Order: sequence, then C-alpha cells, then structure tokens
Amino acid sequence: MQLDLDEALRYLGAGSHAPPALRSQVEHIADQLTRSIQPRFLYRVFPLEHHADGFSLTGANLRLTGRTARTMLSQCHQAVLLACTLGPSFDAMLRTWQARDMASAVILDACGSAWVEAGCDQAEAELSARLPGLYLTDRFSPGYGDLSLDLQPALCAALDAGRRLGLSVTDSLLLNPSKSVTAVIGLAHQPQMARVRGCAYCTLRETCALRKGGNHCVL
Amino acid sequence: MYSEFWKEDILFLDGATGTVLQQRGLPPGGQPELLNLTQPDLIRSVHAAYVEAGSQVIYANTFGANRHKLAASGHSVTEIVTAAVKLAREAAGPAVRVAIDMGPLGELLEPMGSLSFEEAYDLFREVAVAGAEAGADLAVIETMTDLYETKAALLAVKENTALPVFVTMSFDETGRTFTGCTVSSMARTLEGLGADAIGLNCSLGPDLLFPLLKELCENTTLPVIAKPNAGLPDPVDGHYHMDPDTFAAAMRACLDIGVTIFGGCCGTTPDYIRAVRAALKGRKPARRTYRPTAFVCTPVTPCPIGGVRVIGERINPTGKKRFQQALLENDLDYITQVGLAQVDAGADILDVNVGFPGVDEVEMLPKVVKKLQSVLSVPLQLDSSNPDALAAGLRVYNGKAAVNSVNGDPQVLSRILPVVKRYGAAVVGLTLDEGGIPQTAEARVAIARRILDAALSYGIPREDLWIDCLTLTVSAQQEQAMETLKAVKTVREELGLQTVLGVSNISFGLPNRALVTHTFLVQAMTAGLTLPIINPNQKEMMDAVAAFKVLTGEDKGSTAYVERFANQDSAPVSAAPSQSLTLDDAICRGLGAEAAALAREVLQTESELSLVEGHLIPALDKVGEGYESGRVFLPQLLSAAQAAQAVFEVVKDSIARTGGAPVKKGALAVATVRGDIHDIGKNIVKTVLENYGYDVLDLGRDVKPEVILETVKERDLRLVGLSALMTTTLPAMEETIKLLQTLPQPPVIFVGGAVVTPEYAKTMGANFYARDARQSVDIARKVLG
Repeated sequence: MQLDLDEALRYLGAGSHAPPALRSQVEHIADQLTRSIQPRFLYRVFPLEHHADGFSLTGANLRLTGRTARTMLSQCHQAVLLACTLGPSFDAMLRTWQARDMASAVILDACGSAWVEAGCDQAEAELSARLPGLYLTDRFSPGYGDLSLDLQPALCAALDAGRRLGLSVTDSLLLNPSKSVTAVIGLAHQPQMARVRGCAYCTLRETCALRKGGNHCVL
Repeated sequence: MYSEFWKEDILFLDGATGTVLQQRGLPPGGQPELLNLTQPDLIRSVHAAYVEAGSQVIYANTFGANRHKLAASGHSVTEIVTAAVKLAREAAGPAVRVAIDMGPLGELLEPMGSLSFEEAYDLFREVAVAGAEAGADLAVIETMTDLYETKAALLAVKENTALPVFVTMSFDETGRTFTGCTVSSMARTLEGLGADAIGLNCSLGPDLLFPLLKELCENTTLPVIAKPNAGLPDPVDGHYHMDPDTFAAAMRACLDIGVTIFGGCCGTTPDYIRAVRAALKGRKPARRTYRPTAFVCTPVTPCPIGGVRVIGERINPTGKKRFQQALLENDLDYITQVGLAQVDAGADILDVNVGFPGVDEVEMLPKVVKKLQSVLSVPLQLDSSNPDALAAGLRVYNGKAAVNSVNGDPQVLSRILPVVKRYGAAVVGLTLDEGGIPQTAEARVAIARRILDAALSYGIPREDLWIDCLTLTVSAQQEQAMETLKAVKTVREELGLQTVLGVSNISFGLPNRALVTHTFLVQAMTAGLTLPIINPNQKEMMDAVAAFKVLTGEDKGSTAYVERFANQDSAPVSAAPSQSLTLDDAICRGLGAEAAALAREVLQTESELSLVEGHLIPALDKVGEGYESGRVFLPQLLSAAQAAQAVFEVVKDSIARTGGAPVKKGALAVATVRGDIHDIGKNIVKTVLENYGYDVLDLGRDVKPEVILETVKERDLRLVGLSALMTTTLPAMEETIKLLQTLPQPPVIFVGGAVVTPEYAKTMGANFYARDARQSVDIARKVLG
C-alpha cells in the first residue's frame, strides 16, 4: 500500500509543483502516518437486480436509483459494497497534532485523506485478485453525482460496518471516524470504462473511441 | 459478586441470535429488537434452542434496544425490553438465567463523536432499569470497542440496579479495539469499576482470541468470558466457516488458561454451544496466574509501574501567574499546552491540579480532564483535597486514574477513600496526619501502615496505594533529607508499596537548585522511589531518570538511553537567534523558538502593543499576501501563525508579570454548526485570527444554534464565524444565521467550509463568505478593526 504524495499535496492546494521543502515535509509526515496507522477495509459481493427505476442488492436492504447508478452499473450483474477507514486512532492523532502544531496537522489531514484512498485501492486490488475474469467499475460513493447520502446508513448496515469496522453514521449522514470512505463497485463480465477516476485507470484506454476523439466519459 | 451468582466452575452462555434468525430465513437488515413484538414465537424458539443445547445464561434480544437506535421505530425502550425479557424468561425455565443485553449505542462518544459521557450514561440507564424491572437476572454489556462508552454503561447498571454485570469487549488481531484500547487497560479499568466478570466477544474466532484471553487472565482476578465468532468471515460473502468441533477444541484450550465462562458470537448456533459443552465435560479450569501490579492507564496507554515512572508536576497554578490567569479565563488550550509539553519531554503520568481561589474545582476538574484526554493519551493523577471535585473528575476520566492525595488523618481517609474505591483509582497517601509531619522515618512509616490498613478496609488493593514520604526543604531542615530517604526505603522494602515524592521541594533557597534537585532525585530513586513528581521539561532531571533505568537494567540493552541521546545530538543545539535574523523574518519563516527569543529582546525597548502592531501583524500580512498570490501554501501560513503564537505567549507572559493592559483587538466566536463534526477548517481560522490578536471564542463542533445565540448575547459579540463541511449540515448553518438575526442588533456573520459558496452564503443571509482563513482576517479587520 502506497500513500500518493502528489494526492496529499493536491489536497493542500500545492499539487505536483509544490516547493521542495513542503514536499519533503509532507513526505516525512506521510511516513509517520503510514508507520503508525493502517487503513482497514471490508467489502462484500452482492447479486445485483436490475429494476426500471434502478438496482437493488440481494441480501442488503439497499436500492440504488438515479443517473449515477445507471451509468455505473448498467452492465453489471453483481455489486460490491466497500468501506474503508483509518479508524478513531487517526482522529486522535489529528487532535493531538492540532494542539501541538497546526501547520503539521493540516499536512497530516491531507495525508490521511490520501491514505484512506490508498486503502480503497488496496481493497480493489484484492477484489480483482479474488474474482478473476470479472471487471470492476470505478468505485463511486454516496454523495457522488446524484447518488444520495441517505444511502449511508443502509450501506453500513449491509456491511455490518459498525461491528466489523467501528464505523458509525451520524444523524447528519457523516461517517465517523472522519477518514472513512464507503463505496459501490460494479462487477461485469466485460471491461469497464473509467468514468470517475480518469483515462489513466481505464482498461479501455488503448481502444476507447471517446478518448481517440479527444473526449472522455464523465458522470 | 460472581460467586453468589454462580457456584459451579464453568458457566455456559448462548451463541449468536442473528445467525440463527438468518438460518431461519429472516432477511438481514432491519432492527432485530422489533421482532420481540412482531415475531415473538421466532425469538422464543431461538432462546429455546440455546437452552436445549445447554446454555445456562441466555441473552434477551435487546442488543440495540436503546433510545438512540429505537428513535425511528415508534417503540419505547421499556416496551421492547419488557417484551424481550419476557420471551427469554419463557424459554429459560427455572434453571437458566436471563441477561439484559446492551451493545454499543451506535453513536460515538466525545471526543470521537459528539455524544457526551453523561448522555451515554442516561441512554444505558434507561435500558438497565427497564431490564431489571422486567425481571432480568443479570446485565451484559458486550461487543464494546470504546472503553469510555463501556464505563458509562457499567456505571449505569451498577448505580441504578442490583444486577450482576458481565462486560465483554471486541478486539482485533493487533490486540486492540477499534478505538485503540488495550487488553490490560480494559481489564484494570473495568475491575476497578466493579464489573463481576469480564471477557472478549465477537471479531475473531477462539483460536485468534486465545493470546488475548491469556493476557486478560493475567490482568484480572475476575472470572473471564470467551464468546468468540465462528472464525473469520469470508470477505466476499460474509459467511463464517469454522465448524462446531474446531470451535469447541479451541475453546478447550481457553479453559486451560483459566477462562471459565463460555459462549459464542457471530456465526455460532446451538450446535456450537452443544459442542463446547461436550468438549469441556468433566474438565476443570486451570488455576489462574494473576500478578498484582501497580497500574494506571488510559485506554490506549497502559502504564504498569514496573520501575521508575515520571509524574509531570506542571499542571498546577501554585506560583505560576500565567497558569492562574488561564484558569480564571477558562483557557483550557493553555492548560493543554502545558500538558503536551510535559508528554513530549517524556512524562509518563501528569498530575492535574486546578485548585485556585475563584475557581470552582468541582466544575473545573472534570472539564480539564475531558480536555486533556481529548488531546493526550497519558494517564492522569487528579490532585485535589476536595472529594467532590475528585469524584467529578474520576467519573469522566477514561481509564484508571490516580488520586493525589490522602493522609493519615482519619477524617481525610473516610472522605476520600470511598471515592477512590468507587472509581477504581490508585491513590497517593502522604505520611502526615492531623498532628503534622513526623520528624522521623519510623513515624512516617507508621502512618503509611495506617493508611494501608484503611485502604484495605475499603477494598482498595495494596498495589493501588502509593506512599509519599514527603520532601522537606533541605536549606531549612537539613537532617530531614536523610529521614525522607530512609522512609522511602522502608516503605518500598518492608511494605512493598510504590513510592511518590515531589522532588523539586528539596532545593528551595539554595543556589544552583538544579544540581541539588538532580542529586536528590538520584538518591531517592536509589532508595526506592518509583514515582518522582518532577518538572520533566528540565532536561537534566529526565536525563537522570534515563541513566538510572540503564543502571538498574530496566532499560534493556540501553536502547531508550541511546535513542534519547542520538536524537538530542541531531537536534539544533539551541534556539538562540542568530545575529542576522529579525523578529519579522522569524515569524515569516515559522521559527517559533527564535521568534519568541527575539520578541523578548524587542520587549526590552518596546511596549507589548508596539511589538504586536509594529512587528507581528506586518509579518503575518506579508505571509498572508504570499498565500493569496499562491506563493505560500497553507502549512507555511500556519507555521507563521504559530510563530506568531509563540510571540503572543511572550507578550501574555509579560503582561501577566507586569500587570499591563492586555493586547486585544476585539472578540468573536467561531463554531462548526450542529450536526457537523469536521472542524479542522474552523480550527485553522481560529489559529490564524488568534495570531492577529483577536480574542477567538471557540464554541467547538456540532454546536446548536441556541448555544451560539446565547454566547453572542452574553458576550455581546459583534462577529461570528460559522463553518459547515457537508450539504446535510447547511440547513443547520442557515437556521443558526436566521436565529442570530432575530437579535435586536444581530452580529456580523461570516461563513465558510467545503460546501459553502458565495452565492449560497448570500441566500442564507450571511454577511460575508470567507474562502479561507486569510480572508477571515480581512473580514475581522473590517468589522472589528
């Protein structure tokens, strides 16, 4: 698992052209973070039922409706629910750092965001390895596109994420601990376009007609 | 007492309820507790299957039956709990006991979430009382991952019912819960609080739980419970695959380390309980090997006293003007900084004393405990002579704390020891009494013995009593230094108790105090002092402790010692400013220590106000401009702000000493709105504004509109900053703005946060939109000057 420094720098508003001193500071803090806290993740594969108004996951009390779900899942026969978190230890670490040094704390915060994404990438890699012959869509999350945040409690319940990952959803639909991600990933028998994460990640990048025309597919 | 509840060697609990329900075709999701009302026959039949398999305690179907989780169901806690206990009772028959089952509330407690300890207590109290009234035989608290929530639940049961309580928590293979709690912290804290049996449930199978159960058995005298899962779930489909016989064989190994209470969690069914009963038939549990250990902890930091542990003395207003001012102004951030500095210097435990004229200790001590524990993870020693303040502080303390102090005066003992016992704390006993401080070592040891007898009579184990033989000032009573050391030696060797000494006292009135203090510390540790109370920020004191640990063999291979000095060699030698560096440069470059030193120089010739206006703010502006033009990034902006903070500390210190007028540019409040728990953005704004000299009142996160309104009214504030991160919390922001605008003279409101836009700010009725912390300074200038 690798924390993407450029991603952390982007969260800090600096991107890949960050001054070397800042980059080395981020590198140092990323190192401290990744040595002390590991992302934990949890996923489960559900059969996907197609309906006129969207999709349901067999065995989970979850209905995915709207344009985002349609775009992402129309070719899929199964869907994966995924949750990943840095846990309360990260929040505790961030509280301490904020009290000690706000400048380092904002860097830690950015590194935390990149680190939980790295956890999701790791979960996807593990899934791909377990499910040979199947293709994964990009992961997409409640709150993304028109996929409602209201799904958050049911998604966490379907994964038993409270018990198995220590994840909770607040009344205002925030995930707690703060560095947590829930996502849906479609599984299909044919290669899937990168609709969320961009062409560099796409299995169709060599042959894509849209890309050849200078366009890309976005939600 | 467990021995009154159950006489046999072994007790069998039940297995999972959810797994059996799913086997019987019930779809997952939904609230299983509602089945007590909608499908009573089904629930009763699950219980009956466990009774038939040999369970001697069955858990009523009340795991999530608390007010928070039932809120949307339209049913009350009492209704569900009463029905659940009744069903269990019907299935149980005369020989089987019925437990009221309490799981996590489903909402995180402070400081992780926004549910307060007191609110959590109240939610659990309701379930416990309903369970007791419905006729449950015991209460079970299970699947806990937060020791603080567990403490709230345990106190709620013990203080409101007469039921025995079993407590089990969930650990993963790293030996910690999700919140980082260790097995030993759990064991020592819960035994101290009066649990009747403790153990582990869920998360792992009995094979992987085994080493953790072993550790648990070594850390408690209580009966130990194992209620594991049927192995690990399949990551793809979530099913559990360990078969009953494998499960039972692994449980038999647990019997051989002294576990005596057995059941199952996720993936287990009556077949598993039957298999475990068969596997344990005719076998006796192993004798346990508990070693009494002096111990304090927070959930994540167990602190067994095996050698010298340093208690930091700095959180104490005595003789410290700046600290007194912080206490009177409710400036908990300053107190936190004093704690943090000591932890960074290597303190193992922090003494916390907030007693000062004009400060209500009963209110302040718990507040400071909560604040310190939200930032620091070292154990605390609550220092007060007020039993109510100690009780209030110990109640909200997360872990096992120490109390400083009692003495040989019977009245003091009878006031304070019950509080110590109730919350399972360790306690310092001073070797003085109503007659004063005895002059001989023998007389002090005699008092120590009296305190020990008193502690034992209250049920406080001897390892929880730490004796302070009292340091007297050597320049005043020279012969007393040796008496103190003699007493330390006797208490350690003859009574076998831990020893405490406030070391710094020794050198009052002498030149080169550090040398005398340092020498006495070494003598005292040699005599048997294990818990020196010192200022850990004095490097030579901590160096002495480090060297002592090498010489006694506690620091194996001198690892810590070598590391300590390796790090010191590579650190900058001193913070003395170089010739060419100006104060303005130091601030711009974020060099806090240098900036502070230069500020002290500037104050020789300039006033506090001129330092702030002439150096500090222009320097911050320069950095701010760089930030706006994209040459400087947020971490650098904040570094400069922090260097400014260090300068402000110098200014405040100078004002506190000279009694000059405070440099304040006007006050405002900042808050993250109700429902929102992400507050780093608000904290950034606070840091930057404070370092421009504004008096920022931080109301925190998840703040109700009414609280903001009250604060504005009470403090007559003219500016308020609100932040929100999520679309779901924008309505709360709007509501807050509307409420504030009902005031006859509403404050100016600025808003910001990830989802707030200038347009939306306008629609909501805010006066300003702040894109970032830098813009909030411009707004504050416009409004407050």
